Amino acid sequence: MSRVIALCFLLLAAVLGYIHIDSRPAWAPFLIQELISPEADDADKLQPENKLSTKLKPPPQAAILNPQLNWLPDTGAVSVHAASLITLKDGSIRAFWFAGSREGAADVVINTAVLDPKTKSWAAPAVVIDRVGAEKGLARYIAKLGNPVPARLADGRLQLFFVTVSIGGWAGSSISTMISDDEGSTWSRPQRLITSPLINLSTLVKSPTVQFTDGRLGLPAYHEWVGRFGEFLRLDGTQVIDKRRMSSGRSAIQPVMFVNAAQDATAYFRQTRRAGHPKQIPVSHTQNAGQSWQAAIDLEIANPNAALAGLTLQNGAHIVVLNNIEVGRHRLVLMISNPKSGQWQVVEVLENDEALPDGQRKEFSYPYLISANGNDAHLVYTWDRKKIRHWYFSSAWLSQAYSQLPTQISNESSAEIKGAQ
Amino acid sequence: MNDVMQILALIEISITCSLVLIWGIQKISQQPFPLLAKMALLLVLTNLFFWPLGISLELPLAAYVRGATGDLSIVTTLLLWSTLLSNNKSAPFALKLSIAIIALTFYPFALGLGMIDPYVWGYGSITFLIAVLVFAVICGLSNWSKGVWIIGLAIIAWTVHWHESANLWDYLLDPFLAIWAIFGIFSVVLRRRREKARSGYLFRPG
Repeated sequence: MSRVIALCFLLLAAVLGYIHIDSRPAWAPFLIQELISPEADDADKLQPENKLSTKLKPPPQAAILNPQLNWLPDTGAVSVHAASLITLKDGSIRAFWFAGSREGAADVVINTAVLDPKTKSWAAPAVVIDRVGAEKGLARYIAKLGNPVPARLADGRLQLFFVTVSIGGWAGSSISTMISDDEGSTWSRPQRLITSPLINLSTLVKSPTVQFTDGRLGLPAYHEWVGRFGEFLRLDGTQVIDKRRMSSGRSAIQPVMFVNAAQDATAYFRQTRRAGHPKQIPVSHTQNAGQSWQAAIDLEIANPNAALAGLTLQNGAHIVVLNNIEVGRHRLVLMISNPKSGQWQVVEVLENDEALPDGQRKEFSYPYLISANGNDAHLVYTWDRKKIRHWYFSSAWLSQAYSQLPTQISNESSAEIKGAQ
Repeated sequence: MNDVMQILALIEISITCSLVLIWGIQKISQQPFPLLAKMALLLVLTNLFFWPLGISLELPLAAYVRGATGDLSIVTTLLLWSTLLSNNKSAPFALKLSIAIIALTFYPFALGLGMIDPYVWGYGSITFLIAVLVFAVICGLSNWSKGVWIIGLAIIAWTVHWHESANLWDYLLDPFLAIWAIFGIFSVVLRRRREKARSGYLFRPG
């Protein structure tokens, strides 16, 4: 009799389970971003007819501003790292980064500051969350914080993903998230994303999210413990509702996604290969909006086991910022690709300590790129672990750089790029 | 809703920690406690784990345990609670063997071996749900109704999003359950070998 009652109970569970699965949302295509230009910089706005042209006309010489540089505000912390950016509704830019006595220290906090587009200066920094705040919100012990990545939800709210570690090093990381109703001034209680079956260990974030047409977000994440591989998380608010492997093995982390079409996207990775294997950028590709990924041929640009940042402009051009050397992080460049030929060209050397002896070379790492209006680019990166540097490339400057790309890169110029690496 | 979920998770961990402690005390004292004494001790210890103790601790003791273990699966939790509270006979050997085989197959793939990730099935695969139900029915047909109840409750907990995870695997399996099953198999095998050796000695021709 007890067996019959137990089986009846199981039948009830089966019905509830079926209803639960049946109510899950279908996998939606990628949203192709139609960015709204902020009021920020009228000079940077492109004419609508230019938006879809594959090759922009070179702007008048007077309009071309050189890239602008400044620093994220100093918090007094000895070590800073992993900066990221998001455009706010008023056109200003909000930055996030972590700062403390050293990477992984218990005193590390996640900071934020806002760049005023009119005065072009950063406001005073504020603390988004510290370790104790994360512990209380997540109701568990947290040893350290890292990598903040902001995103814009379909309903207009801001969402911040960040890494927390309870035990061990970064390999023991999990992702947590918070939501802000006021453009990042205040944040909700953090919540944990569950992404791994082994005590939820070893999932991290570094790169921006992508959006689906149903308003949900896709978050490129990665594991770096038993395996080192990319994963694409499909999120419904603060909950992971699906995920797909972007690579496998122990050779590719920190995926950066380029959405090419509603079903089509490419991911570039930071390589973590063993000695003797090619030190260049691993690539994966999806043709069904991230439901399955296939490894593709490496992008033949050197990568020294360092993060890269990427962005697709409205004219279809891809830009990346990366360390195009096989060893070290002392050289950082901006590269643009021609969407037709797929060839990459260095258009600006942002940092270069190659002339210095090994011991004096600084580290330029963890770049993060966004566009405020679809045609310009804001870049932040770690400068010698002491400061975060911010660059602004206007749409005029980028379109000029793009217009000067050779239509067909000759063997000589390819060799030149490799030589520069 | 999130606050309630966090409180319930801490209560779960507090009860589990208390039961493990009681089990340890019983083992050391080498005598089983009466149910009433066990319940009283459980109440005291659960409160000790759940409430912040102050001193130099920022969090309740259960939160430190949760930081290391995460939320245990519903199957582990219920199996542990039911076994430690009622001094029932241990789980069937076939169950331990099944869990060990599933875990040893599942974890390598789920942690990055190849492009096939069985963990993904837990988000909403009807085939996976059917497989779990078949497993539960086999438990029932093998005269182990407790298993049917536990798996049924785990499925219901998943549908109501009882824990932070939206993945059915996290309600069914965790590394602690896998370790328990593997150790269980080893201990049964060792015991059988010991018994066989002893019976061989007794009946050895003189």
